[in-house]
Amino acid sequence: MEGINQFISFTGFANLTIGHLVMIVIGLFFIYLAIKKEYEPLLLVPIGFGILMGNIPFIENVGMQIGIYEQGSVLNYLYFGVMKGIYPPLIFLGIGAMTDFSALISNPKLMLLGAAAQLGIFLTFMAALALGFTVNQAAAIGIIGGADGPTAIFLSSKLAPELLGAIAIAAYSYMALVPVIQPPIIKLLTSKEERLIKMKPPKAVTKLEKMSFPVVGLLLTTFISPGALPLLGMLFFGNLLKESGVTKRLADTAAKPLIDIVTILLGLTVGASTQATTFLTPESILIFVLGAISFMVATAGGVLFAKFMNLFLKGDNKLNPMIGAAGVSAVPDSARVVHTLGQIEDPTNYLLMHAMAPNVAGVIGSAVAAGILMGFLLKVI
Amino acid sequence: MFDKFSFSNIWENDGIFISVVGYLIVFAALLILSIIITYFQKILISRQRRKLKSVGHRAADAENLEISGEISAAISMAIYLHFQENHDIENTVLTIKRVQRTYSPWSSKLYGLREYPKR
Repeated sequence: MEGINQFISFTGFANLTIGHLVMIVIGLFFIYLAIKKEYEPLLLVPIGFGILMGNIPFIENVGMQIGIYEQGSVLNYLYFGVMKGIYPPLIFLGIGAMTDFSALISNPKLMLLGAAAQLGIFLTFMAALALGFTVNQAAAIGIIGGADGPTAIFLSSKLAPELLGAIAIAAYSYMALVPVIQPPIIKLLTSKEERLIKMKPPKAVTKLEKMSFPVVGLLLTTFISPGALPLLGMLFFGNLLKESGVTKRLADTAAKPLIDIVTILLGLTVGASTQATTFLTPESILIFVLGAISFMVATAGGVLFAKFMNLFLKGDNKLNPMIGAAGVSAVPDSARVVHTLGQIEDPTNYLLMHAMAPNVAGVIGSAVAAGILMGFLLKVI
Repeated sequence: MFDKFSFSNIWENDGIFISVVGYLIVFAALLILSIIITYFQKILISRQRRKLKSVGHRAADAENLEISGEISAAISMAIYLHFQENHDIENTVLTIKRVQRTYSPWSSKLYGLREYPKR
């Protein structure tokens, strides 16, 4: 009888709390969004399922070693790659090997839109400071506005590991919700005439330019912001593998199996890290709110800067200001959203390639911003 | 949740300084990168112009040597079609291969299924 009682006390039913139920519902909602609405299924399915796994109630610290926060558990080992910032550079390697920078190289001024959209990071940094977060925590929260999950995880693992779960979930959730968050802001800040602007087709880019870009980009950005070296180094390395043309096998591995494996591990463990007992705190809710604001400000920053640039551009050099929204580094979701909005206004307007330029610039910009914040705050420490 | 809220937290933690300088550095980094790429393209074009001039090509004096992506795509398509489409040099010798089709008024399909194909 004692054995049965002990067994019952170990079951999930005996240890269930409201927090677990809430998180399980959130996990199911993520899976629903991924499968039914097809919002970033590659991210939301692993994260959603991870949330379910992380919120199966059990008695902690009795030697079962099953929880993600229990030393020696399998999930804990897998989570090590998140905690120590190992997965984000590997993701960046894959992104580099998949990304075609030619849209950006053919129109380098669009790089400024990627910089402008980082406004969200710095404004949210100040908002988080005002709300009483420490300076390191505020920096980690602010980076959500970069809309770059790997960068957010990388920075928070260095500056505020205690907030890692909430920041990672917020960053990836907003990345997945790009099609929901961005269109209203874009429409609010642009007129119909502006949304109808057709940009001139990008010019052809030579192989030499494509090969030089990762080398020049690495040297310049990491000399300015060495903190971003693990991210930008891997991004540009992956891109050189792709563009050099002599390392096709390596590029293929980085762009397909490697990034897929890391995405599975990252998504699942980030989801599982939302264990209700450690995740459901007032800070987590604040982080979600700040993350949303950060993302909206970043989108607005990009759009408004594109409008500002148009003041100085003439004729067919004018930009469709919607592409400014793609300055957040959710690749390629933001670019796709901008393209879709353009198509709704005018089915003959193809903005995808134009929007990819600020989109990939945003990846570089948010990584540079993360490096700068690390540089500043390591000095403060 | 908002009990620690105070604007003075921003000032005390150098929030404005870090934000303004940080944002400017991000801008500067990407601006410099875009300037370098722009000038790199100009160097490549002038090198190309010199090369064309040295062989006496009339395109050397063209105002714009850049090719748009659309023109490049059209050229690629034309080259692809040229190498893939073989109709112009198609073999004109035609052969006819007899194939035996057993017919049944009931169901030709049934016959086909019950018999091994005859070559």
